[in-house]
This record gives sequence, structure tokens and C-alpha cells, in this order.
Amino acid sequence: MRGHMRRGATTIAKVSALLVSAATLAACNTEQSMLHPAGEDAAAVNSLFWAMAIGAAIIWIIVMGTTVYAVLGKKRPKSEKFADRFILLGGVAFPTVTLAALLVFGLALLPDWVRADAPDLRVHVTAEQYWWRIAYEQPDGSMVDTANELFLPQGQTAEFVLNSTDVIHSFWIPTLGGKIDVIPGRTNLWRLKPTEAGVYRGVCAEFCGPSHALMAFPVIVEAQADFDARLAREAAPAAASNDLFLATGCGACHAIRGTEAAGRVGPDLTHFASRRTMAAGTLPISAENLAAWLLDPDHIKPDVRMPGYDSLGQSERDALVSYLLELR
Amino acid sequence: MTEDNAVKEVERETGSGTDLWSVIIAPFIWAAHFLVCYVGAAIYCQKLGRDADLGDIRLLVLGATAVALVGIGASTFRLWRVRGRSLTDNDFEYEHDTPEERHRFLSHVALMLCVLSAVAVIYVTIPMLYLSSCR
Ligand code: HEC
Ligand SMILES: [Cu+2]
Repeated sequence: MRGHMRRGATTIAKVSALLVSAATLAACNTEQSMLHPAGEDAAAVNSLFWAMAIGAAIIWIIVMGTTVYAVLGKKRPKSEKFADRFILLGGVAFPTVTLAALLVFGLALLPDWVRADAPDLRVHVTAEQYWWRIAYEQPDGSMVDTANELFLPQGQTAEFVLNSTDVIHSFWIPTLGGKIDVIPGRTNLWRLKPTEAGVYRGVCAEFCGPSHALMAFPVIVEAQADFDARLAREAAPAAASNDLFLATGCGACHAIRGTEAAGRVGPDLTHFASRRTMAAGTLPISAENLAAWLLDPDHIKPDVRMPGYDSLGQSERDALVSYLLELR
Repeated sequence: MTEDNAVKEVERETGSGTDLWSVIIAPFIWAAHFLVCYVGAAIYCQKLGRDADLGDIRLLVLGATAVALVGIGASTFRLWRVRGRSLTDNDFEYEHDTPEERHRFLSHVALMLCVLSAVAVIYVTIPMLYLSSCR
């Protein structure tokens, strides 16, 4: 009995700690917050959220008020007719109409795919355990390959062509819009229209394995001209080739355009060092983090699909790290 | 039971039937309508592909909805004659366990199910008014 109570108390403590930290997190970190919309869909979902939250609060207050009145109020019986009306209106008609209105409100937010115009930009996103393959489709149909970081031009509609190579993932950039599952063997299309420039965070929103929580990507929304310049830089070949990288076999899994490395198993590293994060939003890029990654990537991301290189000497790993940092 | 109630008592149909069909007919129509809508749309979209416009199948859904609501309406109309006049009065005294009371109770339940089924049918239909393609 005591044990039960203590467990109850710690649960309450944990829940309140969670709530408090959630509140403070929401207050200071908006890069992944649906309540700070930076895109058209997110703004619509945000207004739906507030409409529902306020509506629910009002209904709750009315129901609670009625309950308190029924318990504490004057016990003068009402007429039978009043009771009937009260139940029919408050208990049947009101919920039916309210739920129908909410259904319509929500449905009206659905995109109209039949009458939609062609998108301004098409980005192919492939989710893999535990990272994101990203390819920008250029006007001539050619692709610019990159990974784990997404650039979008502000005010333009981007269409995402989503595929998965292994299990079900989910593509979600909370500040820009809703999420959509990424399903092996099926191509899902999704559109987002960012309206505010800034740096946001996208995540995998469907549990996909031990490193599911380490499968994120920075999203950078910037003016069209900056985006164009960025894409041109991204399309250019790598700064340098490196014999050790090739000799160690990294090129079997990683592509570095402009060199012999053309593997398709892992992320494209052509401009790796220009990214904001490494290992899909897991760590900032630094010599220490890269050294730790090469030594034992599984320690940083459990179940990762890259082998560790403790077989290499320290100097070789250092050489690889400085090469990777050159890939701007 | 008050004097007043006893007088009105005469106005309604009495009976002793425990016809379970009249109880489940409305939910049954709801289920059939649900299946027609979902299976119909699934077959339609499978045949025409994900980009297909929903125009034709929308007509089917609206037609099925009209038929379903007429059916539920007819059932409601039939039950109305044995209705309990009030949700809250002591119309339902189940302690007597007579065929008449069973009949009245089941009719009341059936009437409630009619309302529920009509609402459900309408809810199933609403999304069709907003969806535009098979996607
Ligand atoms: C068996 C295939 C394979 C080999 C060989 C391999 N890697 Fe990887 N590598 C991966 C995969 C898969 C990932 C993505 C891991 C993740 O984030 O889930 C990755 C991620 C990386 C990253 C982070 C990339 C990013 O976008 O954040 C770096 C850097 C990297 N590898 C460097 C190397 C180097 C250097 C070598 C050779 C010493 C090497 N890899 C060998 C498969 C491989
Ligand atoms: Cu995932």
C-alpha cells in the first residue's frame, strides 16, 4: 500500500516535471514548434488548434458549471419538459452540430489536389534508417543530391516526392505543416509553402528503429536568390579528392561528386562540411564529433548502418576528419 | 404514473412485439451505407488511379446517403407511434416485465438507434463533400 502511494507520488512528480519542462521548452525553442507557424499549412493547423482548444475550454467550463450548479444549486425541480429539452439540445443536438462543424473545419484544410497548380520546386526525399536522402529536381530534370539538410525558397510551394527504402518513417517539419508517412514501395506526395525565412527542424515522426529519435534534419528557409545560389553551390563538385578516403572503402557507401567515390548506401558527402549538423541532426559538425563518429558510429547512433573504424590508426582517422572538414 | 400520463397513454400504439429487426434495421442501414461508400470509393480509386477526380463516386455516395436516410426515416416514422413521450418521465417502468413494456422499451431503443444512425450516415457523407481526388 505504502509502495503504491509512493509510486503514485513519484509518477505525479514526474508528470509535473515533464509538464514544466515541456512548458519551458515550448517557451524558448520554436524551431520545431507547431505553435510558431512559418508556413501556410502550419498556420492553418495552428488556427484549428486554437479554435479547438478555446472551444473545448468554453465547453468544459459550461459542463463543469452546470455540474456544480446541479450539486450545490437550489434544489427546485424543473419541469419535465425543460428536462427533456435540456437533454435533447445539450446532450444530442449540441454535440452533433459541434462535431460536424469541427469535421467541416478540419476537412476544409485538406489540400485540393485536383485543382492544384504545378509546384515551384520538386524535392525528392528518401527516408532510410536513420537519415534523409535529399535530391532537388532542377528545371532540366537533373538532380542535385545531398542529405540531411533541406533548403527551401521562401514563399514558394515545394512538392516533396517521398519514398522509403526500409521501414515506415514519417516526414514532419512542424513549423511548416502537417506530417505524412513515408512508406516503402509507395510514393507519397506532399506540399509545403514556407512563408517565413528562418532555420527550423524537421524530424522523423514514426518510430523506425533504435535511432528513430536521432533522425532529424535542419530546414533552412531563405529568399529565392539565396536559395538559387545555395543550390548552384550544392550542385558543384567537391573541393578535393582523397586517396585515404577511397582506399579505406568509404567510397563504397558514400558519394563525393567529382571524385571516384560514388556509393549510394550512405549520405552524399560532397559538401558535407557546409551542413549545420552531422548524422541527421544528431551532432554539430566538429573535429571531435567526427573523430568519435569514425571510431564508433554505433555508440552515437545505435543500429546505425555504418561500420566503426577503430581498425584504422589515430593518424589515419585524423586525416579522414580533416578531409571531411574540407568538403565545404 | 400521473393522471395526465394515463390519459395520453391511450393515444399511442400498444403492442407486444419483440421484433429485433425493427431494433437493428437503422444500424444495419448505417453499416450498409458505410460499406457502400468505402468499398465503392476503394474500387473506384483502385481502377482509376490516385489522381482521379472523385466526381462520379461522389454521386454514388450522395445517392446511397439519400436512400439510407429515407430508410432510417421510414423506420423512425414507424416507431414514432409507440414512442415514449419523454426521456425523463416515469414512462419507463421496467419492473412489470410485461410484453407491452418489452415492446415499448425495444421501440424506444430502436428510436434512439435511428437518431444515432442518421447522424452517423451524415458524418460518413460529409468528407465526400470536401475530398476532391483519390489521393
Ligand atoms: C557500409 C556503408 C558505409 C561505409 C563503408 C561508410 N559509411 Fe559513413 N555512413 C553510412 C551511413 C548509412 C550513414 C548514415 C548514418 C545515419 O545518420 O543514420 C553514414 C554517415 C556518415 C557520415 C555523416 C553524414 C551526414 O550526412 O551527417 C560521415 C561523415 C561518414 N559516414 C563518413 C564515413 C567515412 C569517412 C567512411 C570511411 C572511413 C565511411 N563513412 C564509411 C554508411 C557507410
Ligand atoms: Cu525514421
